[in-house]
Amino acid sequence: MAAKRTMTLNLTEAEMAVLEALSEKRELSKTALLRQALRMYQVIEARLESGNKLFFENEATKEKAEVMML
Amino acid sequence: MTVEVTEVHLLDVASGEPVAAELWHVITEEQLADWEGEWVPELFRAMQRLRRAGVERAHWPQSRHWDWRRKVAALQGMLANPGFSILCDGVTQGMMIVDTVKHRGRVDGQQGQHLVYVEFVENAPWNRAELFDPPRYRGVGSILIRAAVALSADLEFHGRIGLHSLPQANGFYANTCGMTDLGADPDHEGLRYFEMTPEDAQAFIAKGRSK
Repeated sequence: MAAKRTMTLNLTEAEMAVLEALSEKRELSKTALLRQALRMYQVIEARLESGNKLFFENEATKEKAEVMML
Repeated sequence: MTVEVTEVHLLDVASGEPVAAELWHVITEEQLADWEGEWVPELFRAMQRLRRAGVERAHWPQSRHWDWRRKVAALQGMLANPGFSILCDGVTQGMMIVDTVKHRGRVDGQQGQHLVYVEFVENAPWNRAELFDPPRYRGVGSILIRAAVALSADLEFHGRIGLHSLPQANGFYANTCGMTDLGADPDHEGLRYFEMTPEDAQAFIAKGRSK
């Protein structure tokens, strides 16, 4: 796999608590979860830049709610 | 650009012997030129043969409309969408693009977990048994699926992968790859959805090693 570079990340206690909870829930290390978040962030940015909107759809009711990106 | 390359082997169907090939962890201009200059004309001739033989359109290659240049251009630079290709005999033998963020596990016990979703995977026309008898090389599809599993493991997704299969490939994913068939997906043109759990992935990799 591609070579990796190292960085130090400073998080507040609350941010670290969320990172740890999500990592455990998704069976990922903290590093893997943040790498995944970066990939997702890039996808969202690219979609928004090309004029798309971001929606969440309720699977049962099919109700859509736009996520406001200001 | 540094291209990550892994040595692999395909089976030369005519001789029955394994031949050295390369798995590229990228799709480059070289592959797109092969697609335009080698795959498309060959596919066109193969479809002409099918038409002249009276084969119904439903049995023509279902990926015949895929435009790899457009697909690659649309996903250029996206971390979430790496591409893979296989080279043998100086020509591209197969290509695959995956997505690592937009799909989650659906199988019981894996729901909501991350997986590598295979967006597009295609074999060169001369390697497809439905178009060429005999096909030139075997093993392209398995190597590409194994690459998706390896990426999934590298991302800590534990080998989970998922895909919607074109009908002509259902048997390959169910039997050769040992993926779980979750049936026709009404949200995806009725294509069947297949998923590989971490356990399925281990079994698939072990099967490849024993060959």
